[in-house]
Amino acid sequence: MRLPGTRYQEHGWEQVRKLLGRCSLQAFRQIDMALMLDAPHHAELLDQYTDAVAAALRLSGQGARAEAAGNSYGDGVCELALSLVFELRAQPTYWGGLMSAIAGEHARIGAFWRQASADAMLRKKVNDMYAGLRDKIDADSYTVTTGRACSPNKMYTYRMLDTAYRDIAQLFAGWRQHAAQVGAILGRELAGIPIEARQMKSIAGCKAEWIIRWSASQEQYSGAAGPLHTKSKRFSSLKNSPEKIAAMLIEIGDYEELSANLDSGDDWQSDAGEAALWLEDYWRVIGESEAREAEEEEEAPLPDVVDQILQAPEPDDEEEEFELADEAPDDDEEGEPSESAAVAPLLESPASTDQLRDEQAIASALSLPPRYLELARSAQDSGSWTLRMLKDDTLAIRLAVYHKLLGASDDSYPDAWLDPATGELPTLQQLAALDQVSMPTLRKRRNAAIDKLYAAQSRDGVKKEYA
Amino acid sequence: MNSTPIDDKLHQRLLLARAVPGDRLMLGDDTLQAALAGTRALTPNERAALQQSPLTLRRFRHLALQRHAASQSAPAPTAANDALWPGSGGMLRAASSSAVLDELITDDRYWTLHFLPNDDSWQVVLTLAPNAPFAARLLREQAMLRVVDGGGAIILQGRLDADGECERAWPFDTAPASHFHLYGASFAVEPVAP
Repeated sequence: MRLPGTRYQEHGWEQVRKLLGRCSLQAFRQIDMALMLDAPHHAELLDQYTDAVAAALRLSGQGARAEAAGNSYGDGVCELALSLVFELRAQPTYWGGLMSAIAGEHARIGAFWRQASADAMLRKKVNDMYAGLRDKIDADSYTVTTGRACSPNKMYTYRMLDTAYRDIAQLFAGWRQHAAQVGAILGRELAGIPIEARQMKSIAGCKAEWIIRWSASQEQYSGAAGPLHTKSKRFSSLKNSPEKIAAMLIEIGDYEELSANLDSGDDWQSDAGEAALWLEDYWRVIGESEAREAEEEEEAPLPDVVDQILQAPEPDDEEEEFELADEAPDDDEEGEPSESAAVAPLLESPASTDQLRDEQAIASALSLPPRYLELARSAQDSGSWTLRMLKDDTLAIRLAVYHKLLGASDDSYPDAWLDPATGELPTLQQLAALDQVSMPTLRKRRNAAIDKLYAAQSRDGVKKEYA
Repeated sequence: MNSTPIDDKLHQRLLLARAVPGDRLMLGDDTLQAALAGTRALTPNERAALQQSPLTLRRFRHLALQRHAASQSAPAPTAANDALWPGSGGMLRAASSSAVLDELITDDRYWTLHFLPNDDSWQVVLTLAPNAPFAARLLREQAMLRVVDGGGAIILQGRLDADGECERAWPFDTAPASHFHLYGASFAVEPVAP
């Protein structure tokens, strides 16, 4: 199924899900699972997990399965899995959901992750997390692309209808063997080939009442209740709203037709040119709004302009909310870089010969080019905002920040930053070793650096640099 | 002080990939489009709502990029999806704030609205540019179209004649210029679902 903005709703999802399951099991082996029972550790575990799972995904990225297309826009399976891991960082409630599922299991049967059957149970729970997350991400992208609100539940409903349509199409195709159920769907006795079966060329041609009758007939003909007729209330209200079903079917069908010859959905992992383009608009719009506010304060107030803030949409019939993960903010009081001191010494002072020698020994021990640090340092753009904000951090920390926010490879990285062996940034282990710190310390400093960037961006200073 | 391509990507990431539980669309397209076009600045509350909502920022980004694409591709339409036309939007330009409004053009430059004084009221004429990539299809299919203002009210509805025009009486009491100023300074031409 394709809808505006969605990337995770097509058949290739099965492969994405399997790959994420496999790589998650590898990641869990590097994590102290017992800490999952302890909410204050969740944020730190999410960090460790996403780092480990992203590394495992990149390793698996060469396989034929990983390179296969995961959707009809040409996103590969591994690419989709990686971007979902990125999304997880911004949606910690889903991680919180997994943590409570694991804690629930632990309350029931103890430290199950040490048992032989652990893999299947963990994989199932990871599946559940990503199944919810993909619908959340796709629902948001749908909203971004269309301007219309959409919830994860609604995305799930679209998919249920799409699956129902496919099942009906199969029954129609084999109408001789399934005459009784096809009759039940159409609501009449069959006399020869049903004309409807020929006329239904796409999901847009599927009638809402067929879906409802199909669901009602499932229990009798397939042994399991249809989705609109299960005991769960999830879709039960839908069976009384054929017009809602019809509108959704038509929407799926129309977009499928419309997008059949387009090569890309909403490409939100865009190139730097696009980022520059819209950010310019962003700073301008913010600036104009601030200017107007200032104007009103100084001069006689202009006639009141009423805020045009949208009301929250009606909640879905049963919107299930994850327990909010307890996101303890890192109140390390890192101290924001003071603005006045900013511009002066941008690059770290040139390293002494002794330092260079030490650096070369470390780099060589990590199978990096001996002069890696020296060359990577000089490849930094001294005018860079990021460099200025993070001038008190080491090069390795800055690279770890890029690693986390933009990924191990990005076309904007200078060659000198990359490990020639992989063509990507050094791994987090390598970066930690370059600074001669432990992984937890590297993560802690990296996260503090990212917090500094967030703080700096929300201050006015950033805007002025763009002007 | 410049901003490097990596900085831009990082800014984008910082703005858009934040955890905001319960985030939702905070501003409508009309509000965002008017801010982008510079016809109506965001109020302080709206500005805060935009800055605190990654989802709304992503919609803003989408609309901003769409505007750039429309302004670039307008003279040279792409052939690949020539039959597609989801609708065209336009804004009242700052320069057109003088009392008399005689025409408005959509951002993609494929549609013009002409306003003709007619005694105490006005006639409004919708004209399709013959070079619009979807022109042939719309004329062939005799598609039902409508023009709506920023508040969603219908200004005109009907089918194009053979010249690609559709003329109706201006349906409001207020003059076109003041009317658009009252309703978001924007308008859109849309296909009407059969």
